[in-house]
Formats: sequence, structure tokens, C-alpha cells
Amino acid sequence: MISEPYREPYSISIRELNESGPDNIPRELVPASQLIYSSPATLAFNSPGATGFGVKRAGLAVPDSVMLLVAPGCCGRNTKLLSEIQGYEDRFFFLLMDESDIVNGDHLARVPDAVCEVVDYLDKKPSVVMICATCVDALLGTDWDRVCRKAEEASGVPVRPCYMYALTREGRKPPMVLVRKAVYSLLEPAKRDPRTVNILGYFSPLTDDCELYGLLKQAGVKKINEISRCEDYESYLGMSRANFNIVLNHEARTAADDLAKRLNIPYLELTRLYQIDKIANQYSAFAGSIGASFDDSEYRERAEKAVSGFRDKYGSISIAVGEMLNANAFELSLALVKYGFKVPEIYSNISREDYVYIRHLAEISPETRLFTNLSPTMLCYDCSRSDADLTLGKDAEYYHPDCPNVPWNEEKQPFGYSGVTGLFEKMTEALA
Amino acid sequence: MSVKGLHKIIYPFAPDQSGAAAVLYELGGMIIICDAGGCAGNICGFDEPRWLQTKSAVFSAGLRDMDAILGRDDLMIEKIVKASDKIDAKFVAIIGTPVPATIATDYKALRRMAEKRTGMPVITVDSNGALWYDSGIEKAYMECFRKFASDDNGAVIPRSVGVIGVTPLDSDSLTAGKRIADALTASGTERVICYGAGSSFEDFADAGRMEKNIVVAAAGLRAARYLKDRFGTPYECADPLIGDVRAGIDLSAEELEGKRILIIHQQIRANALREVLLQEAEGLIEKPQITAASWFMMDEEISEKGDFRIREESDFFELVGNGDWDIIIADGSFRRASGDFGEKHGKHGKFIELPHFAVSGQFAGEESVKYYT
Repeated sequence: MISEPYREPYSISIRELNESGPDNIPRELVPASQLIYSSPATLAFNSPGATGFGVKRAGLAVPDSVMLLVAPGCCGRNTKLLSEIQGYEDRFFFLLMDESDIVNGDHLARVPDAVCEVVDYLDKKPSVVMICATCVDALLGTDWDRVCRKAEEASGVPVRPCYMYALTREGRKPPMVLVRKAVYSLLEPAKRDPRTVNILGYFSPLTDDCELYGLLKQAGVKKINEISRCEDYESYLGMSRANFNIVLNHEARTAADDLAKRLNIPYLELTRLYQIDKIANQYSAFAGSIGASFDDSEYRERAEKAVSGFRDKYGSISIAVGEMLNANAFELSLALVKYGFKVPEIYSNISREDYVYIRHLAEISPETRLFTNLSPTMLCYDCSRSDADLTLGKDAEYYHPDCPNVPWNEEKQPFGYSGVTGLFEKMTEALA
Repeated sequence: MSVKGLHKIIYPFAPDQSGAAAVLYELGGMIIICDAGGCAGNICGFDEPRWLQTKSAVFSAGLRDMDAILGRDDLMIEKIVKASDKIDAKFVAIIGTPVPATIATDYKALRRMAEKRTGMPVITVDSNGALWYDSGIEKAYMECFRKFASDDNGAVIPRSVGVIGVTPLDSDSLTAGKRIADALTASGTERVICYGAGSSFEDFADAGRMEKNIVVAAAGLRAARYLKDRFGTPYECADPLIGDVRAGIDLSAEELEGKRILIIHQQIRANALREVLLQEAEGLIEKPQITAASWFMMDEEISEKGDFRIREESDFFELVGNGDWDIIIADGSFRRASGDFGEKHGKHGKFIELPHFAVSGQFAGEESVKYYT
């Protein structure tokens, strides 16, 4: 093992980061400029097949679908764990490449027969066979649309590609963007229902207590579709009838664009926030844009009470924030500082878009330090030099194993006021 | 006839890059997985149970499409140099994945460039992700012994033993290396090196001074033969922990009588278990017939008649599921694929679990530590 580290982990203050600006992000924060440390967050961030909803699991969002992973054995190795999750048993199949396939692409000729064999093997015909393709085919330049068409003709079931191309992680259309497009690609034009709305962005539903459901009902919406709440293929196809789509995650924008183009369903975007005043502003603008008005006072009060109750009980404690959680680490840190807490450290990758929050954070908490989960120097991170009372995010827990932690990465997605309320309830539990 | 390479029930096993990383993990080097990120994630999050307990400098090269397409080896070398300035590593290991295999990376050139720029010893393992873990273990051992074993470290050390093949992927727990070392020490061995398990990079320099080597997994055989050729060190194949393994198997000596038994594991463990069971059956009137099989390397020198290697899932269904077996001893992952084995031959087969981490990612009798869960 590595002997006693003699260097400090790389970090930068939010003040310095803000001064450098989005056009001059330090090279230490740019993934392409360095080797990448295998921290927990890196595994989720850098590997599109990894934790939570990576490409493999996301590709099975369509009800009654199955997946054929076409790849060398290594790409399917950790799929075993996914198969142990309820609802994913018997849905993964593998067409393993050998050493010569990697070079000459012979595996592609076997795909139609493999799809037929999988379909024949299953008791029930799948709604779609998703083909999960990996880095080898990215480099071979495989035309998956063509291969899938041939497999579809041979098997008689829809076959669609989804691209687990880790090599394109920083590209224009990274894997998690394309897989979102893929899972909605089976929707066909249908008669629109003005009282139906789709929520796009996540592969699991919003928490049941999320006020967005109630607010949409106030606006006269009768049916709210989320792909993860579609019990069967028929109800999935019903998403074609939506009057408009609400995009909650920017990675679903390409899918929403595609639906706008093919099915003529317009969309608008909402952002997950933890600053209560900004949540209120967003709902107000949303209501205005659909010609409705919302009464969100009850939800807002509950969130404010959760924050003040926690602050009254625990005071201005220090909270370290990671990125492996259901929040933007910078926006959440900004919210926490605005509520009166200290955020000494953030562990996160950074993008230009984060400067919206970094700019404000620099004004009220300039000495907060940003560590990047990707840096090899994080091997030298020493938690004894930090004074966090609580950590948020699974990655933050990795760096502070003995500190109370709220992972805040549950599958059901927090959003809006209920997200704030839920987070502070969990924080209270963690410190109790 | 099933499509070649199609797996409908059995999930892929630990790949060769995981095997290579398992040998190198504790040696104090900077291990660079030459990938885009997913392979490093699989190693750390699934195949390497030490990752959550022991820090090791396992890094992804973070390759992106244009790096691969344009063959930007120089960029990777820059990254290695930059990291080596900040990390106290003793050597650099570059481990291959499907990406360099597809673009035919010149590992020799990569090694030379990295050595020149970092001033550290560099080894490369040309794993490709399409082979199983045993291939990676074999290659990593060969690289380490070729590079680090010294010809002039001194005379043979009396009562010394080198143990080759101890990795979590073939072990029953993370304590395997220590238990083997303790057992050897208790029986009079004065110096034990378990290469890759509780040993350091420097220990490899003494490889030529061992009185003998014990090979505990088939993936270590090639290295043992290499050391025999180079230093004259004799070797033997053995599973020092077979007593513990036997204790975990719910099978009485009486049940062995006249039975056809199939053991599926890595070859040396399967052989060792066969030997123990045959010894137990010595007093029985009708001896059991015991066959060893493996998805992984089967060396002819230590095979017995009838032993076989499984290469395809369809072979498994045919040779195992439809075979004339009374008892199958194998990782629990194979239970479903074994189906109602023996039925075709009028038998009701008994399946006994013998965990194999490289197959199921689980140790015996304990929940394995995994980040992805």
C-alpha cells in the first residue's frame, strides 16, 4: 500500500475560484488534465455504468424491457449487483466479445441471433430489447441503428441502442443524456390530453410528499406521468398524450427536444433548489408560464419551520458537502450558508454552470474550500484537519468516516420545499 | 445451438484487469487503469474488497474518445508524471482494458516513455477485459517477477517459502494471506512471502532466495515455472486453507459413497478438495468419482482424466446441468444454471455452495464489502 502521504490534497477557496472565473477553471479541476482518483464519487461520476441509475439500469426504465449488453466481459461484471435489485431480476443478458471481436467487430453479426435467442428464452415477450453498447463499439464506430434494425426484423420486437460510452463522458451528448432520449424513443404521436403532464429527468419518482403533484393539481392537471410510475407498457405509451413536459434534470433536455420535435410536446424546465426563496420564485414563474396560480404557502412554511427548528436546536454548525447526493453541491452549500450554517468544505466536480452559485457563495462564504473528488491528491486527504460536525453525501462520508452523515442519495427524488423539509429532518436524525 | 458468447443466466466473472490489479494492490505502486473510467470503477467498487479498507493509488487514466482515436499516449504520460510528483509511489503499473486493446496500444513504448519521464520502474499488463481474472493475475505476476526479482540479492534463505496466487479473487476472505503465512510459520517456516497479500514491492526482489514456492491458484503456475527456470526454485501446488474450506461444506463422508461429484472452482482449490474428499472416502466400499472443472485456466500437468474447462454458458448447461452428477460443489451463482441436474439420469442432485469471489463477488460466510451496494 501507499506509504504515508507527504503532500496536501489539492483545494481552492471559493473566493479564488470565483476570481478565476468560468473561463479559467484551474487545471486541477479539469478531469481531462489528470489521472482520476477512484473515490466513491468518481465511480458514480466517471463511470456511466456505476451506482444508482447508470446507463444499464436507466436503459431498463421502459416497463417490460430487457437489456442485452454487448461488450467484453468486464463491462458486465458489476451488473450482478443490479440484478439483485427487485424488479431487475432476469432482465439483463450478455453477448460477450472475445479478443478478436474487439478488433474486427465480428460480434455485430451475432447480435440479431442473440436477440432472437433472448426473446425465445423469455416467458413473456419483452416490450423492447435495449442494446447496451460500450467503449469498444464507440471506437469501432458501430452503426447501432442499423444493427438494431436488423435485430428488430429478425426478432419481431423493438430493439433500441443505449450507449454506455464512458469515452464520451465530457462530450456534447454524454451517455446519461442519450439514455434518457433512448427510453422515450418508443413513444409515438397520439391525441393530446390537455390535463396530462409528463415529468422527465429522473428514473425514479419524486417523493410521494412532493408539493409539485399538489401544485399541478391546483392548476387543473389530472394525470401526471413519470416513467418510473408506469406500471406497464400501455401506461408508458400513454406519456405520448401529455400536454407538456416538465424537465427536472438538464440531462433530459435532449429527450425533451426529441419529444417536442417528434410528438410536438413542448417542455419547460424546473431546477432542484434548496434555497426556499428561489423555490418560491421558480414556482411563481412556472405558474405564470402555464397561466395558472399556485398557493404554495403551506409547503413553504413547513420547509422554513424545518430549517429554523434545526438551527435552533444545533446552532450554526459546520457542514461538509459532497456531490454524491440529490442536490447540486454548490447550490446546497449556498442555501446552507444563507440559513446560517458554515460550510468549510465542498467535494465536487465543477462545471461552468455552477458559477451561478459560486458567485453568490463567494460573497457570503469566500473561505469555503473546494476539493475535487477526481484529483489523485485526494489520496492524501486527512479528515482530522477539517472541523465538520456533519457531512452530506456519500462521498463526504468516505472522507469523514467518523462524522455523522446524511447520504441524501435515496432513489425517490426530493424536489422543492418537500426536499428542504426532508433534508433537514434527516439531518436532525443524523445528529440525534 | 446457442449464440457464441451469449449468457442468459450466468453473469460475467472478474475480468483480467481486476486480476492484475488484485496482485498489485498492496505493493505500494501507482496503479493506472488505462480506461475511460468504467473499468477502474468496476475494480474499486466491485472486484477489490480491500478498496474500502486500505487506501491504494488506483487511478483511471480518464481516457476520452479523442485521446483514444488520436492515440495520445503522450497526454497519459503527462498525467502520470504529474501524479507521480504528488504521490509517494514506488513504481508505476499500467493496466490495459478494452480501450487500449481496440486501438492496439504499444505497451512497450508506453513503459519506456513512462520510465524515462518518471524515473520509476514501470510495468505494463496488456489485459483487455475480454479475458477472465486469472489471465490478469498470471500476467501481473510475470511482469512483477521479471522486473523486480533480483539475481544478486543473496543466497537461498533456509526455511523460506514464497506463496503465489493469494488474491481476494481466489480466497475465502481477506485474511487468507495472513492465515497461510501463520500456518507456514507455525510449521517451522522462518520467512514467508505471500506475493500480493501482505507483502511489499521490495519482497519481490527476494523471489530468487526462496527455498520453495507454493502455488495456491492456477493463475500462479506460470510464474512459479518461470522462477524455477530462472532461479531453480522448486514449487508445489497446494491449498493450505483446504481444511477451512472442507469445514464449510455440508457433506458427510457417508454421503460420498458411490457418488459422482463435480467440483467447480479454480483448479488448485478444486483439486485440493477432491483429494480431501477421496481421503475421507477411503474406508467406503464404493469410492466416489470426483471431477474438477473450471471456467478458468486448467493446467494439464495437474489435471486428472475427465476434468474439463467450461468456456460457454451453453457448455455449462450441457456438461453440468445435463450431466450425470449426484453432487455439485460450486459457487452459489451456478445453482440456477445447474437446474435440476442429474434428473436426466434419474437422480435428484445436491448442490453445495463453495464461494468463489471472482465469480459471485462474495466470500464464504460473510457479506462482501462492496461500494456499489
